[in-house]
Amino acid sequence: MTKEIDDIINKARSRNRQTLSEYESARLMTSQGIPMAKGILAQNFANVKNAADEIGYPVVLKACSPEVSHKTESGLVAVNLGNEADLAAAFQKINKAYPVEQGGFLVQEMVKGERELVIGMIRDPQFGPCVMFGLGGIFTEIRGDVTFRPAPLSESDAREMIGEIKGRKILDAVRGLPAVDLDSLILCLLATSRIGLEHEEIQAVDVNPMIVQGSQPIGVDALVILR
Amino acid sequence: MRQPLESFFKPRSVAIIGASSIRHKAGNDVIQNIIANNYSGEIYPVNPKGGEILGYKVYPSAGDLPPGIDLAVIILPAKLNPQAVRDCAAKGIKAMVIAAGGFSEVDGEGQLLQAELERAIKETGIRVLGPNTSGHTSTPFNFTSSFFPLGRIPRGHISYIAQTGNFATHTMRYIATVENFGVARVVGLGNKIDIDENDVLEYYASDPETKAIFVYLESLKRPQRFIEIARKTTRHKPIIMLKGGSTADGSRAAGAHTAALASDDRIIEGALKKAGIVRIYKYSHLILAAKGLSAMPLPRGSRVSFLAPSGAMLVSMTDMCRKFWNLEVPTLEEKSRKRLQEISPPYIRMRNPVDIWPSAMVHGIDFAYQEGMEAVLSDPNIDAVVTILMITDETGIPDLQRIVDVVRKYPEKPVYVTFSAEKKHMETAREFLETRGVPTFPMIEEPFEVLSILAQCRKYMDRP
Repeated sequence: MTKEIDDIINKARSRNRQTLSEYESARLMTSQGIPMAKGILAQNFANVKNAADEIGYPVVLKACSPEVSHKTESGLVAVNLGNEADLAAAFQKINKAYPVEQGGFLVQEMVKGERELVIGMIRDPQFGPCVMFGLGGIFTEIRGDVTFRPAPLSESDAREMIGEIKGRKILDAVRGLPAVDLDSLILCLLATSRIGLEHEEIQAVDVNPMIVQGSQPIGVDALVILR
Repeated sequence: MRQPLESFFKPRSVAIIGASSIRHKAGNDVIQNIIANNYSGEIYPVNPKGGEILGYKVYPSAGDLPPGIDLAVIILPAKLNPQAVRDCAAKGIKAMVIAAGGFSEVDGEGQLLQAELERAIKETGIRVLGPNTSGHTSTPFNFTSSFFPLGRIPRGHISYIAQTGNFATHTMRYIATVENFGVARVVGLGNKIDIDENDVLEYYASDPETKAIFVYLESLKRPQRFIEIARKTTRHKPIIMLKGGSTADGSRAAGAHTAALASDDRIIEGALKKAGIVRIYKYSHLILAAKGLSAMPLPRGSRVSFLAPSGAMLVSMTDMCRKFWNLEVPTLEEKSRKRLQEISPPYIRMRNPVDIWPSAMVHGIDFAYQEGMEAVLSDPNIDAVVTILMITDETGIPDLQRIVDVVRKYPEKPVYVTFSAEKKHMETAREFLETRGVPTFPMIEEPFEVLSILAQCRKYMDRP
């Protein structure tokens, strides 16, 4: 498990990169047991189409490169593509808007859910690796409904964190939605704690948003920043 | 092998470097304080003039001291301290309190001086409290190194760790003259050149004299270890902390949400929660919560009942319990409710919280408060009780002994008293109740604020 992470990180370092691409970041999360949306990296439309067939429609198409961030604002993300025609149109648009020369395309399963959470890790100069949990989405920072704990996290720490956010009721069975699987969420927090403790080269991690599909939290975007 | 801080808290002998025969000088006040606290150990004043101070033989220099003294309290100008440290160490003194300011907390020259002091400490291997400390106190050993005139320091089971000179000076004077509770150990950390909050916390954690720990800190020297020690400690002893000041935000990696949200204060908040430390924000709570814990137990839960002579007080406090204090105001079991109904006229439906006025008007203030308190204290749904005592000439003066008697019947439930009373009766009641172990608070919200803090301590103590 950790060897895969080491390989990803070493590759980035050898190219003097301080951030991992979304695809690399997602692989890192998955290797630690954090559920992420299925994704396939593709270089051209033929591969994109094959990837979509493999994953199954509807899909999400994103520009994917370590140099590319703020994808939503730059028109580099297209969600809920239901068929090949939509996929092709989206590909054209993103290709045109692509800001850098070299880069790939991430074809991702479309994860549907009304609730968005965030899980993160930051290496604090005083307390070392700290895990963050809270309400996610594009307004994460504006809302600021998050909580922190220094690693290592115990299961009861994780449970306390989850119960502490102002919007904790969103995790209950509300508005016809099932309750969020807290055990699954706890495992994600424990995994994030481990990432911070076992990988000194990682400065920060964001999994935002984690969309709750049914009762299951699934990460649909990830960012890893190296020291 | 003595615990590293044993020589500070149980010094069998103490040398006062910079002792003075002149009244009101620090070097004189410290000896007066030690004598006033009935210290039974040996005192060795040191001053080049020699002679005698307060009945003790004065040694002209540290070099003239007999070997084997436990502790040195050094009250000298800053630049004389590094040498004084060496001189004392040469005589086998292994623990020192350095009072002088003028080190790294002032300027560049002070920083150099502190570095020199650090070298002296490293080379001699001694333990130092300070510099720039107003001292420490250890009442179970009848000792203090404070040079602010304090007289006899009241003894109790509350211990303080402070990154401020307050608790060895005017705050202790306040506690000693205004309050009716006492302290066990008090440490002013000063510049933390050697001994830091972790060392003191470890000592307090296993100190049988310390039942609760109060902390005022502006910075943490070894943060991760502090959290570790605290986490273990809060399983059996409450730690209540005021974190002073906002630290400068460290530089953070750009682009990550986590980084953008991770302000120092949020991270510290999470760390203190992990540690099971209850964070307070009001300075006065360092005193009020200590008062609440000094004679009463930690509540077993957050379920509160209170008795007041006014519907407005009941409504307001209930609102605050729910909105701010995280305290439950539960329904009483029917047996208790019936009892309250029995002692009250039929036109009012009795419940929790308790409007004690109707009963007082019909049956007298004595009967009402005593029976009312008994009814709610005996209820298994209630963990703590606040009594808002109405005392005026017109409405009557309750028999305070009966209140104390009721409280003593339920030793596992804290009871706090606050007032709606005229001055003379309030002062009498305060004196009577507090000297019999019932804490009182002048402002109506205060007992609830204290219960809010202590109920959280209980939650942390009960963690799986």
